[in-house]
Amino acid sequence: MRRAANLTGVELSRRGTLFALLVPGLAVLLFGFLYPVAATLAFPPDGDPATVARETGSLLTDPYLLPVIARTIRVAVVTTLICLVLGFPVAYLISRVPPRWSGKLLALAIFPLMLNTVVRTYGWLVVLGGNGLLSSLTEGLGLGPSRLLYTETAIVLGLVQLFLPLMILSCYSSLSQQDPRLEEAARGLGASPGRAFRQVVFPLALPGALVGCTLVFAGAVTAFTTPQLLGGARERILSTLLYSRVNVSLDWPAASAVALVMTVLVLVVSALSSRLSAKGSTQ
Amino acid sequence: MTPVVQLESVSRAFGRSRDAVAAVSDLDLAVPRGKFTTLLGPSGCGKTTTLRMIAGFVQPTSGRILLEGADATKTPPEKRNIGMVFQSYALFPHMTIIDNVAFGLRARGLAKTEVTARAGEALELVGLSALAGRKPGALSGGQQQRVALARAVAIRPSVLLLDEPLSNLDARLRVQMRAELRRVQRETGLTAILVTHDQDEALELSDHMVILNKGRLEQEGAPRDVFPRPASRFVADFLGYENFPVLPGHGPVAIRPEHVRLLSSGEPEDAGVTLEATVTNVTYQGSHCVVEVNANGLGDGTRLLCAHPGEAPRPGEAVRVLLPAAHLVTLGEDAEAAR
Amino acid sequence: MIRRPLLSLLTALAFLIMLGPVVILLGVAFTAGSTLTFPPEGLSLRWFAAALDYQPFISSLGTSLVVAALSTVLALALGVPATLALQRGLIPGRGVVENLFATPIIVPELVLGLALFQQLMVGLQITALATLVIGHTVLLLPYAVRVVGASLALSDPRLEEAARGLGAGPLRTFFQVTLPVMRPGIISAAILAFITSLNNVPLSLLLTGPGVSTLPVEMLNYVQSSYDPVVAAVSVLLLAASVAVALVTERLVGFNKVFGR
Repeated sequence: MRRAANLTGVELSRRGTLFALLVPGLAVLLFGFLYPVAATLAFPPDGDPATVARETGSLLTDPYLLPVIARTIRVAVVTTLICLVLGFPVAYLISRVPPRWSGKLLALAIFPLMLNTVVRTYGWLVVLGGNGLLSSLTEGLGLGPSRLLYTETAIVLGLVQLFLPLMILSCYSSLSQQDPRLEEAARGLGASPGRAFRQVVFPLALPGALVGCTLVFAGAVTAFTTPQLLGGARERILSTLLYSRVNVSLDWPAASAVALVMTVLVLVVSALSSRLSAKGSTQ
Repeated sequence: MTPVVQLESVSRAFGRSRDAVAAVSDLDLAVPRGKFTTLLGPSGCGKTTTLRMIAGFVQPTSGRILLEGADATKTPPEKRNIGMVFQSYALFPHMTIIDNVAFGLRARGLAKTEVTARAGEALELVGLSALAGRKPGALSGGQQQRVALARAVAIRPSVLLLDEPLSNLDARLRVQMRAELRRVQRETGLTAILVTHDQDEALELSDHMVILNKGRLEQEGAPRDVFPRPASRFVADFLGYENFPVLPGHGPVAIRPEHVRLLSSGEPEDAGVTLEATVTNVTYQGSHCVVEVNANGLGDGTRLLCAHPGEAPRPGEAVRVLLPAAHLVTLGEDAEAAR
Repeated sequence: MIRRPLLSLLTALAFLIMLGPVVILLGVAFTAGSTLTFPPEGLSLRWFAAALDYQPFISSLGTSLVVAALSTVLALALGVPATLALQRGLIPGRGVVENLFATPIIVPELVLGLALFQQLMVGLQITALATLVIGHTVLLLPYAVRVVGASLALSDPRLEEAARGLGAGPLRTFFQVTLPVMRPGIISAAILAFITSLNNVPLSLLLTGPGVSTLPVEMLNYVQSSYDPVVAAVSVLLLAASVAVALVTERLVGFNKVFGR
């Protein structure tokens, strides 16, 4: 009877009405999104597809630029892994504590999402800076000043802080739907707590973890504020390179090339992840 | 007297023209005034689509629908004066119970005093006046269904349409609500059409029963006429007949297990068909046993079920089985097979 | 279950990384000293005074609020009707249209910002403010469609039929049944969209003009050029505002429901 239900809408409201409801939104998408993005990726001002292709080629072969791509991917992968290792246990804990606690813990994990990235990253300058918290700590211990600011480690730390809430939320949405009795059943069958976690809890929450990993990876590849503040000009990644090409060198075809590589990277990873989750759900 | 609702060779297909599936084919129907009619059939038989076409939510692909004798095929639902009760209740979650019941009255632009009076009256009819100020979320399933009924009745519709209204309720409540539905229909004198797949519900509630199969009408009539005399194998099967032997000289017949008798030795034979048989299985059911036998002489493996109240024979025993003439239903040409 | 001590340790570490740097700002903002140090060197409110005195922050806050308000309203005005058509009507190729409304999410915001800068601001000579509003509307549209759609998908599609059957015409049905049913979804979407717009950096970064820039972008620029705690003071003010918004959200529709998606 589902079919009959679907058809009702058409029969109650005419096709013209439906069209009128959809068109304004589609028009704005076309003008404010599809047209400018397509135009910029293919035809930047003072450039054409050939220039963009040449720039993209040099980006993928240039000994100065290739490390930027490698660093971007490395930073994103490490960030994703750390987020998974920290975020999954937190999500698990939240899903298994009594409801009056879980709501509050979840709210606490989500709250940072309300703050802008400058606010969230700024604290790291205090922690990692030349005469910052960490430096005074290491000096106090007689280890000499720490020099973490403007390193890859700093970028990863900042990005982990930024994206942990997303990982926790994704894992939590899978874990909270899991019947806690499954774990009890595994324990009842003689599995140790660790074994029950590895063989029952984690595999069943994989779809959520996969969504979380995709979100964090894509976020880390495209984040700008954090790598700009914590990596600076020394440790460039694609997004900060793009910005400097637009703002400093004013080389638009080259900027389009960076934009293209970034976009393709995100699209490929999203596509891979949805292939993977589709495969997982059919098995 | 003109029927309240009339369908004239109504068809409805879903899907694009090439691979369209007919949900209802060439259906003629006249719904008698002031009576309780049920549309009965298994899922996918077209009963819900038929009801939704009467309500105006679905347009027939061909044919005419007449309400009160006038062509209403193209009339939008809000102009049909129908009272519909949905399986999911469909109470407006943001309105109080009384506002739900008053919704149709306000849509008709009635005066405030009349709205209040009639909504209150309808709520009283289903015994829920005390809950008037609550929101639907605070009510149990059975209460919600009664509010839905009050809401549909309040507008004094020319026909009350009930789309499997009881199937979301638990078994005990369902039986209670049947009586409630019947009472409300009698007290209001409304014409009602109920869609259901539950034969007990249909038998208990209806004055007129319409059995549908694959979008076509199989049989219609009063339950007292239809139940003992199913016209086709499909109807017999649907109404719980379980034995369909082909008897020499009779052709295909149907008989219910409780009418099949095991004869003790020496018992005189009543009018009917007596068969020699072998017991193959016995299942204990409390008040009786179900004895499964294989009738000899009917070709192989004609299995018969017999609800036997006395002491049961054992598997392998030879028995004599009587199919009383009074309970043998001769099946006509199957409507489906004829197509 | 993993062993409790390990679980507690990882959880503590996670919350330390997520919240520690923000908590530190509280100390830094109230310092009497003039550098970014923790613990603070004496207590004072001088950096709050300095922040409120710094004209670019005040004017960019105005820009941010205007852009967030306009783009939220626009995204809802475009997204709610589209959601309605997608959820309640039979649209040929519905999946494609739905995906189209979600695509702005998968394209990097910095790339969208660059594209809007090149094509609309430079190419079509549209003002920075208008381009900001267009860009943010595109950015928020997927949120509006998804959040409102989720609330509509949960409601009974028979509600509209019930209203029509009771004698209400299409308009009455929309305003008295459909719209009230969508209300919690619309409120959630509006809050989420407004905050998302207000916090955005990468999209707004390149869309600046004379006197036009958003607050987060101005904060970023300030941090990159000077090393004093003014931005810490601004951050604490924003933190206080966020707590207030969170409390109001909790009362209206539930904080976790709005931001936990």
